[in-house]
This record gives sequence, C-alpha cells and structure tokens, in this order.
Amino acid sequence: MNRDPNNAPRIEVRDLVVKYGDATAVDGVQFSIAPGELVTLLGPSGCGKTTTLRAIAGLETPSSGTIRLNSETVYSGTERKNIPAEKRGVSMVFQSYAIWPHMTVFENVAYGLKVRKLPKAEVASNVARVLDMVQMQAYADRPSSKLSGGQQQRVAVARAIAFSPNVVLFDEPLSNLDAKLRAEMRVELRELQRRLDITSLYVTHDQEEALAISDRVIVMNGGKIEQIGSPEDIYDRPASHFVADFVGSANMIPGKVTGEGPNGTLAFETQGGAQLRIARPADARVQGTVIALRSAYIHFGQTAGAQNGVAGTIHRRMFHGDFIQYVVDWPAGQLIVRRPPTELFDEGSAVVLSFDPTHCVLL
Amino acid sequence: MRVPGFQTWIMMLLLLVCGALVIYPLAFLIVESINVGDPQIFPPEEYGLGNYANLYEDSKIITNTLLVACISTVFAVIFGFIQAWILTRTAIPGRERLERLMELPYYMTPLIGALAWGVLLGPKTGLINQLWRSTGIESDAFNIYTPWGIAWVMALFEGTVAFVMISASMKSMDPSLEESSRVLGASKLRTMLKITIPLVTPGILSATIFVFAEMLGSFAAAFVLGIPGRFYVVTTSIWQATLSYPPDYGRAAALGLSLFGAMVITLGLARLIMRHGTYTTITGKAFRPRPMDVGAMKYPLMSLAWGYIFVAVVLPLAALTLTSFQQFATVIIPQMKFTLANFETAVQMGSLGPAFINSMTLGVSVATIGVPIIGIMAWIIYRSTMPGRVVMEYVAMVPAAVPRLVFGLGLLWAWINIPIPLYGTLWLLGIAYFTVFLPLGLRTIAGVVLQVDKSLEECARVCGASWTHQMRTVTLPLLRPGLIAAWLLLFIASVRELGASVFLMGPHSKVIGPSIVNSWLTASSELSAAMALIQTVMVFIAVAIMFRVARRMGGATE
Repeated sequence: MNRDPNNAPRIEVRDLVVKYGDATAVDGVQFSIAPGELVTLLGPSGCGKTTTLRAIAGLETPSSGTIRLNSETVYSGTERKNIPAEKRGVSMVFQSYAIWPHMTVFENVAYGLKVRKLPKAEVASNVARVLDMVQMQAYADRPSSKLSGGQQQRVAVARAIAFSPNVVLFDEPLSNLDAKLRAEMRVELRELQRRLDITSLYVTHDQEEALAISDRVIVMNGGKIEQIGSPEDIYDRPASHFVADFVGSANMIPGKVTGEGPNGTLAFETQGGAQLRIARPADARVQGTVIALRSAYIHFGQTAGAQNGVAGTIHRRMFHGDFIQYVVDWPAGQLIVRRPPTELFDEGSAVVLSFDPTHCVLL
Repeated sequence: MRVPGFQTWIMMLLLLVCGALVIYPLAFLIVESINVGDPQIFPPEEYGLGNYANLYEDSKIITNTLLVACISTVFAVIFGFIQAWILTRTAIPGRERLERLMELPYYMTPLIGALAWGVLLGPKTGLINQLWRSTGIESDAFNIYTPWGIAWVMALFEGTVAFVMISASMKSMDPSLEESSRVLGASKLRTMLKITIPLVTPGILSATIFVFAEMLGSFAAAFVLGIPGRFYVVTTSIWQATLSYPPDYGRAAALGLSLFGAMVITLGLARLIMRHGTYTTITGKAFRPRPMDVGAMKYPLMSLAWGYIFVAVVLPLAALTLTSFQQFATVIIPQMKFTLANFETAVQMGSLGPAFINSMTLGVSVATIGVPIIGIMAWIIYRSTMPGRVVMEYVAMVPAAVPRLVFGLGLLWAWINIPIPLYGTLWLLGIAYFTVFLPLGLRTIAGVVLQVDKSLEECARVCGASWTHQMRTVTLPLLRPGLIAAWLLLFIASVRELGASVFLMGPHSKVIGPSIVNSWLTASSELSAAMALIQTVMVFIAVAIMFRVARRMGGATE
C-alpha cells in the first residue's frame, strides 16, 4: 500500500525476536510501514503485539532482528546496536494513558516540546494547537488528576503529537473507554491521523476497531504473523483458520474437495453430504479440509448468481438490533447466519441458504 | 544498551556496601558462637560446639521464651481479629477515625508500654494496685513483673500488627463471594462459617506465625518487666551474657544465632502460608465489603474497639504523664505533690541531655542518608532489569529476620575486633541503625515505587527525555510523598531504637532508649516516665507530620 513508491518505509521490522527468559514473546516478525499509513497489530492477548510495539519504541530489548525507523537502524542484533527510547524520535500513546498526575494538562502536553528545548512562545503555541485539535483547549490549566477517562485519552493523544513526530505508536489506546466513547474516538483518531499524515502503528485486540481504522492489518498469533493485508483482504480472504475465526464471525465447515466444478470453481462435499461450489484458492497447493464462510454472506432464499443453495431449518433466532443472528440446522450441522433486522423469519421455518462460491474460503 | 554503565556501577557499589554491612556482623557472630576458648580473644584459639550444647542445659530460658511468646501471640491475634472484624465488617459509627487511630499502639513501642504498665501494675506502688489496696485488700490486683505481664504488654503492641494483617485479608475478599452464598439460600451464620472464615483463615494463620516470630525476638518488655523478677527469656539472656562479668560472648552468640534460626524458620513458614494458602479469588484488589448492620450491638462493639485504643494508648500515656509530674507517684489525691523536677533532670542531668541530642542527630542523619540510598535500591530492585537486583533484595531483607539485639551483638563483636576506632561512637550506632532499618525503608519506598505506573516513566522516555531528566521531572516528583513518609519512619525508628543500641552505646554516645532503661533500673520511675514521655512526644510529632503528608498524597492520586 505504498502510496508514494519513492518514499522509503518509515518503520521496518525484520526477523524480530523478543525473548523473556525461555519464553519467546515475538518470534520472527517482519513488516514495513509506508509514510502516512496506519497499520494495526491485531491479535489476542499474549500474541506478542504489544511487545513488538514496545520493541519499536525502545522500551523492550529484543533478542535479535533489525528495527529501522526513517531508514535509520535503531536496533540491530548483529551490529549490537540499540538506540535508547528517547533518541528514537517516535511518539507513543499508552494503554493506561500515562498522564502525569503531578502536572497540569498544559505541562503534560508541553513535556516533549520542553525536552527539545523549544522557545517558550513556540511551546505555548504548539500546545494550544494540539489541544485545539483534540478539543481540550478549555482544560489547559486543569490539574490532570481531575480528568475523566475520555479527557485523559485526548490529552494523551495531544501529548503524543505535540512535538510533531512522524511516527506515532498506539498501544491499545481506546481499550479503557466505554463502547460508545470508543466508537467516537476511533473516528476522531482516524481523522487526526489522516489530517496530520502521521505514520501510525496501532495495537489492538478488538477486531472491529482494527478493520475500521486501518489501511492494513497485521494479524498476530503466538508471537508470529498470521496474515498481513487490507481490512477487506483479512475479512474476505482469511489466510488461516486462526484469522477466519478471530476476525469477524465465520462458520467453519469441515469436508473435502471432490473435484472440479463449473466456471473454474471446485466441488466441495461437507460432512453430512451437502454439495457446495467453492472458489479455487489463489495458492493451488492448498489441500484444505475446511472452508470458512462469513455469517454475513449467507442469504435466505434463492438469489440470482449464487451457485450454492442448500435447504435448512431455522433453529434459533436472536435479535441483536443492528442485525439478527440465526442458528440454522442444515445437513452439515449448524450454521450461524446474520441478516439485517428487516429479514425476520420464525424459528422452525424452512429456508434455502444461498451463498456465493467466492465467499467460501478453502483453508 | 538502554541501561547506562554508571547505573551498573552504582548497583555494584550498593550491593557491596550493603552486603558487607549485613553479612559482616553475622559472620563474626557465627565465628564467635563456635569459639570455646577464651571468649574475649579473637580470632578464637579453640573451636567447638560447646556453646550450643550448653544451651540445652538451661532449657528454662527456652521454655520461658516460648511461654511468653505463646500467651502474647494468642492475645494479640484475638485483639487483632476482633478489631479487624469490627472495623472492616460492621457498621459502627466513626469507623474511619478508629481505623486511623489503630496505628497509634504501634508507635507506642513495647518499651513505653512496659514502663507504663510497670507504673500501673507494679507490686505495691503500681497506681492500680495502690487503688486496689486503698480498699483495704492486703494483696495486689495484679503483678505485672510476671510472664503474664510481659505477654500482656507485648500483646497490646503486637495486636496492631495482627490487626493490620488480618484486616488486609478481610478487605481483599470480594464481597460477592459472601453475597452469592446468601443468594443461594444460606443464612448469615452459615455464610460466615462456610465462606467467610475459610477465606480469612490463611490471613489469620500467617498473622499468628508472624506475630509469634516477632515475639521470639522481642526485648524491651521482657527486659523492663522480667529482669526485676529474674525471669529471663532468650533476648534478655543474651544481654546478660554480654554485659555480665566476665562477658560470655560465645554463649550470647550461640543464643543469638539459635534465635535467628528460629525466626527465619517461622517467618519462612508465614510467607509460605501467605503464598500457597491464600485462594486465587482473594486478589490484590482492595474491596470495601458492605458493612453488616449490627443493630443494637453497635454500641457494645464500638466500646470494645475504643477499649483497645484506651488500654493500649490512652491509659499508658495517662499513667506516664501522672507519674512524671509527681515527686512520688500516687493516685491518692491528698498525697500528690506535683513537680517539674523530673523533666528538668531528664534534659539536664549529666549524660541524659546529650542522649536526647544524640538520638535526634542520629534520627535526622540516618533518615537523610538512608532515604536516597534506599530509594535508589528500591528503584533498582523494582524498576530496573539489572541482573543483580534479586540478590540485592535478599541482602536488604535479611535484617528483617535478625532480632535487632542479635544484630547489635554482632556489630559489637565485629567492631571491637577491628582496629578502626568506631566502637563507642555515634558512627557505629548510625551504621547499625541504617542496616537494621534497611527492610523497613525498602518496604516503605517499594510500596510507593510500585504504585507509580511504569508507563508514566516510559512515556517520558518516549517523549525524548534522558534517564536523568525523566528521574528529575517524573519519577522523583511522583515519589516525593512516599520518600517523605520513609524519611519520617526512619527517623521515628531511630529515635526509639533500643535493641541494637544497648550493646553499641558508649559513655560518649548515649541515646534515649537505653538511657530510659538504665534510669528505670537504677533511678526513679518518675524520672523514667518523664524521659519516656519526651521520647513519645518526639515520635508522635513525626507521626502527625507523616499522617498529614499521607493525606495529601491520598488527595493527589485520586
């Protein structure tokens, strides 16, 4: 997704390994981030995403590998080079916000500028500018211990961008906010990041958040990268069982490929004997025994173009508001189906399940 | 490397100095305990286990020690449990104030307690016994110069320790554990028997063992109340063996090391129970359990809670005050003759005046030098990733298991055998205080260091601050209230120190604690009461400042 191919990546991580004693937290991670890009590290807790981020910030000492920031090597296992955090010039928003309770909002935001020995007037104008961006200008003189969670979050963001860093690291910045505020801040953060063109690496365990704000998503599991891709890629073409399961709601349908189908599809027979047409995987070597099918991509009733149509019975209906989740009995067991609230079916009614072969991803 | 080289040097230096301070006296003790030749010659001419073998012969001392320790542990745990239950689980009026006052008995010290109860319940002359006899009865109400008396005084003091430990385990219990029992249909009583008590048992058990270990090594009460009746426990026997003529250092060292061993085992046991006996549902999180509505019982319970404060603090202080202002202590009003002479004597008398000045000097300098050093150690142990930090923590915590008296003995023996003329000077006392209070200082500062979220420091680094800049602008300002509290605690501990001082005080380096004891043994109880009151006032002023700082600290973090 390099928007300007002439621009070298802002962050480059190669073969990164971080060990704590015998435990390997990060195991050979490798990726690069182009200028202006927002990339998320997504994964369950303990997958090594935060450790990777902290290693880039210089807060964690890796065991081996290379980290380059703005084309400058800041860590190299082979060269035994490890530039301290304060000399790396990146900025970071912490999960706990890390707002210093003994300083006012102004002093918190001004910290990075004062460290850089900017003249007083310039410090003041910069602080005013960023506080304005996060709509906290009215709070400048407040003691920061008197702020709410959402306000602390805004101050933390303002502090991180105040000294105009070109790389900002976000360590689960929204995880301590309630759901509604989190959704609002997500939009604001993305706006801010686009407006200032800040290269960002963003750690989260919330797949919805990752899909919503990222240019690219890196899914991690057990210290390794499972898949790197755009949010659409990750959702529509999960590369592994783990990604399909962790991101979004997917049905895992076991079975086997029985041969060629029409129009370049493959024929797939599920356990229980349903015959499906599925898309041919990009990598022809995939010898999968399971397909992943997103619950949102299954329709009720025969639709034009959909080449799969299987009869089923609605077992259970759960109304979620924004969608309805159905549990449908079908030959291969049970299937989760999500439909908009306009498509209301009673429990026990017979339906035809139809879905496109391209949405059946062989794993 | 992120950690600059000079940090490693500082760590090595601290480890070396503290290691020497802690281990050196203990090593001398070990050598001396196996010296069966002339006990005054160093290095020993003859080695053997004779000193240990001799300990079996006077098993009386050991049974005495165990007797006092057992009685007072039982009482202390009962006091602590009742106070903890009333103050954390019942809805009595004025709970918060009472909870704060519960710290006071701890600052009273066993020495002050023993003097005060000696004044109250000494045979014939004790104030309560005077009252008792004034009714015409020809015997005493109670004689405090007995094992029961020693145990009583110690129990009042250790009751606070038990209270702190037991109430912590009560507070850390999630109230929903009890609520779910009630919801499932169990009665209040059944819930208490089946849920509450099993959950707090590990806390009570470890408090019991901890208090018992402290009792084994306690000195002041057994000294003040035991010596007149020739009732000796291990600590007072060490004192006797060291200061009698000719001194039997070998015997003292063997006694001291046996005591040290016993304490290490019991404290280890307490830790083991604390770690493995507690249930995972009891988290580090503090809950405020919904207090039980006790109805009409609330006034009896409230008076019970106040009763402890009265008996442990108010009554002893009142007795000391009444005594110190009289020529001859009495409660018979027509016979009272009030005077300020005792206080005049206390501050003027030949060597006693300097004792107060020396103690103040020591308190201020030990605290001032100790806090920065221990602060750096706490930061290294709990914040850095340096490989030596675990060793450093162990070294710094060793003195916690050594009775201060035994440590004093080790230092005495170590420094009279070294050509550096430190023995008999304030320097040696200063070194001793710093070493024995290492665990106290480290625990206090560590509590604050751990409270400060690590990301507050990391954020400063990411913002571009160097290590020194981060320390100056973020770490130290955040730690300041905790450091002030640690300073005051070290000051208080130094001013009231007795155990290590008895052996290390010289004719030109007198300090308060031993001076009070000497005056009690050789001069009048009225004079001793005046001295004890002055010491208590010094300590309470420091405590008052500490409470104020603590309150401001509480306000800042909210």
